[in-house]
Amino acid sequence: MESKKTETPKRGKLTKHDVRMLGIRSLFNQSAMNYERMQADGWTLAMMPALKKIYKDDKEGLADSLKSNLQFINTNNYTAPLLMGLEASLEENGEKRSTIDGLRIALFGPLAGIGDAITWFTILPIVAGITASFAKQGSILGPLIFFLVYLAMFFARIPIAQLGYTTGTKAISKIRENSAIVSHAASVLGCTVIGGLIATYVQITVKTKIPVSAGHTIALQTQFFDRIFPNILPLGYTFLLYWLLKKKNVSPVILILATFIFAILFSWLGVL
Amino acid sequence: MQVTLMQGILIGIFAIISGIDFWWEGFYIFRPMIVCTITGMILGNITLGIVAAGLTELAFAGLTPVGGTQPPNPIMAGIMTVVLAYTTGKSPATAIGLALPFSILMQYIILFYYSAFSVLTKKLDTYAANGETKKYTQLALLPTWIVGLSYGIIAFLCVYGAQAPMKDLVNSMPVWLSHGFEIAGSILPAVGFGLLLKSMLKARYVPYLLIGFTAACFIKFGNLMPVAVIGVALALIEYNRSKKDAENEKKMKAVMENANNNGDDEDGI
Repeated sequence: MESKKTETPKRGKLTKHDVRMLGIRSLFNQSAMNYERMQADGWTLAMMPALKKIYKDDKEGLADSLKSNLQFINTNNYTAPLLMGLEASLEENGEKRSTIDGLRIALFGPLAGIGDAITWFTILPIVAGITASFAKQGSILGPLIFFLVYLAMFFARIPIAQLGYTTGTKAISKIRENSAIVSHAASVLGCTVIGGLIATYVQITVKTKIPVSAGHTIALQTQFFDRIFPNILPLGYTFLLYWLLKKKNVSPVILILATFIFAILFSWLGVL
Repeated sequence: MQVTLMQGILIGIFAIISGIDFWWEGFYIFRPMIVCTITGMILGNITLGIVAAGLTELAFAGLTPVGGTQPPNPIMAGIMTVVLAYTTGKSPATAIGLALPFSILMQYIILFYYSAFSVLTKKLDTYAANGETKKYTQLALLPTWIVGLSYGIIAFLCVYGAQAPMKDLVNSMPVWLSHGFEIAGSILPAVGFGLLLKSMLKARYVPYLLIGFTAACFIKFGNLMPVAVIGVALALIEYNRSKKDAENEKKMKAVMENANNNGDDEDGI
């Protein structure tokens, strides 16, 4: 008899304020991050007040929903509120448990992909690149702009949650349709900026001079590498690291240590 | 220069706040850009902090916690870069290299916690099944407080406790060694960019990488804005093109289906 009860849509309605709070509470998504089920424990903590309001006195229904939310989930922290809003609207409409769980599990992967492409691989390199150029000259504008951008990003969680909540099931086909296109455009922007970052911020300058004839030397950097193409060594080294990371699966920590050994060795030899 | 006990405690408190922020990925005050600036402010040399912020932020630009992985820790890297530059008088570029062991230490502590916090899941399941939301909330927030406290303690010990031995160590280094650290600091961003490329570079994105690289080589401007604008333009072109392609594909499918249906009709007749 209890299980039938949860199917009836006699459920509480979320107010606008509740949905806003859901956006804010998405902050808890990683509060209990662990390898067993990643963000699930924090995800459920973020959803809890909304679920409590939806299920009101239906303790059984609430427990069922909480248990289902505790399944493995690992998504991007800025697309998480979208999925939370979406799930809240489904719970509110009394959709079947299996439908809600199926959608959450189907969507967290694609949303992680699109969210990471936009936040970590596009916004961070651009903001870091631009603010670092201010900071390197000792200008407070660097950290200030950086802080303001990410403050705005935090508050963007609210409209993102609202978007998920209001579009509800309509959102699903849209996400599926557009996630590939948006990730693609974000990757184009990201790769362009990373190209620029490599040229600007990786610095390798060779000091060696090669004697060609008596009293005449060639400076390897200015008279050889720079004449082929400026910054060709940084580009080459970055691609070497990329190749090692991608094709040889070398851990980044090893590469960091190798870079240090390489730098110290060449410093000792007087090459760099 | 010496870090006073008061400064050490303040840095410890800031480490707790930014540590929790990193755990939650909330306001990004855990990035070296902010960590270095605040640490510089606490030490009374904000300019040093800001300059170190620019260098360290780039060195860690690609070292991101995507998909539940843990990079070398940006908070400890930021704090120790500024503290070591301040106490030893070395340049921030050299200090980045010296700060690295502290950063890797913290990385492994967080990795340990990822495994350790798995023990809480059973208890959380029980609370969820009984609908005990208060108890659930308390327990689900516990890892956050543990992590925050660990940051505070470790940052304080590294900053205040280890400053004298670190200073002796750095001062006894020959020039080629400290110069080597400085060079490594300026090559280090390559590891981060390599990591970014590992996640996002596909053969079809290589042209954009080359465009960005060439543009930055030859456009002489104080910051990367021109390259970012070129990138936005290219992204918009690609976005519109992909959208059109997707629409055309839909139309094609519709036409094909119609054609098939007609064919069936003819067979029927």
